[in-house]
Amino acid sequence: MDATLAGHLQELRRGTVVVASLIALRAPGYGYSLLETLSRAGFEVEANTLYPLLRRLEAQGLLTSEWNTDEARPRKFYRTTEQGDALAETLRGEWSRIDTAIGDLSVKSGSEE
Amino acid sequence: MTSLIDRYVYTALRRVPEQQRGDIDRELRASIEDAVDARVDSGEERDTAVEGALIELGDPDKLADQYAGRSNVLIGPDYYPAWRRLLTLLLSTVLPIVVIIGVVVQLIDDPDIGKVIGGAVTAILNVGIQMAFWTTAVFVVLERTGAGPVRKGLTLNWTPKDLPKFEPSTVPLTEVVAGVVWPILLIGALVWQQVGLDRVPVLDPANWSFWWPYMIVAFVLGAGYQVWLYRRRSYDRTVSVVNAVQQLISAVPLIWLLATDHFFNPEYHDFIDLGGGDVKHWFTVSVIALVALGTGYDIIKVILRGEQERRGLPSKVPGTGNYNFG
Repeated sequence: MDATLAGHLQELRRGTVVVASLIALRAPGYGYSLLETLSRAGFEVEANTLYPLLRRLEAQGLLTSEWNTDEARPRKFYRTTEQGDALAETLRGEWSRIDTAIGDLSVKSGSEE
Repeated sequence: MTSLIDRYVYTALRRVPEQQRGDIDRELRASIEDAVDARVDSGEERDTAVEGALIELGDPDKLADQYAGRSNVLIGPDYYPAWRRLLTLLLSTVLPIVVIIGVVVQLIDDPDIGKVIGGAVTAILNVGIQMAFWTTAVFVVLERTGAGPVRKGLTLNWTPKDLPKFEPSTVPLTEVVAGVVWPILLIGALVWQQVGLDRVPVLDPANWSFWWPYMIVAFVLGAGYQVWLYRRRSYDRTVSVVNAVQQLISAVPLIWLLATDHFFNPEYHDFIDLGGGDVKHWFTVSVIALVALGTGYDIIKVILRGEQERRGLPSKVPGTGNYNFG
């Protein structure tokens, strides 16, 4: 039963990391800092998924990046582009539409007290 | 000596496209160092921290796949259905045809049973493996290269017209009629070639002492079987057994007569001349092959119908419901 639950949760959460990253990176951030931010915010995301994802989003023009060499350890900072911001808003809209729709459904079927 | 982090980064980068390596190298190192620092800050030893950070990042090959955007499947869901259909078609239709042709050629060339069976087994293995390999190889190449609009082009547009037709498993009337008319024609031909022609009979007249009357009885039984089957209206195991018996009582003696050269009249020499080859021999071999394959096919067909009926399945009308790949 746990495997079933895990599978469905994974299906449901797929894609949320993209929205979360695009929103979080309105303020510039680097890989590890974003990982921390997201896990503090309650997103279960693995480093080995997040780092390649950031590069993919950059390739799609949703993020831009810049190397910051001011500090001892050079870091690649990502920031959400205008396009990425617009996309994130669209996805958020869809997210809340689904939430409302599910709420309506459970009211209709009488399962919500 | 290279550090653990170096080894990890090299391993991952090996499988990343070259033009991305420099950038990923720097970024990955920074990320790992950040994770290590965080662990050290929370009180771990540096060595343990490195190990922990690398374990968290996981298998470097998988990470490389993620960076390179490679799918880690041989044939993905887009291509799998087409691959399976094509392979099924090849193995279930084309392979048997190739094997049968091979068997017939071998029979004509040298009807040695060991060579025939050996050739058939070799052909099934060789041709089957080649078919499976090359089909898969082509689809793997498509999977690796066929991104974008090409991918759409291969998607088979399924329509309800592609559904197979099913027939309820009753006894088809056309088959029964054919099954009655065919033995009558054979009996007619058998008698006619002996008495109706002003020439030397084609078949050995010596067999009128036993084998030709036996054949006539067998053919009559065959026709009777068809009528019995039609009145029975369905297939089952009894039908399968009865059918096999009635097929074999005519086929086995027929093949024996052909194989021992008791079939054709020794006095008959008017076989069509095809450039001086041993036409009689070829003809004999072809008839043996035809009788053996036809009998085998019919016995198996009736057994399969019986099994389908037993499980209450309708049978698929042959030649319907195949995708055309055009």
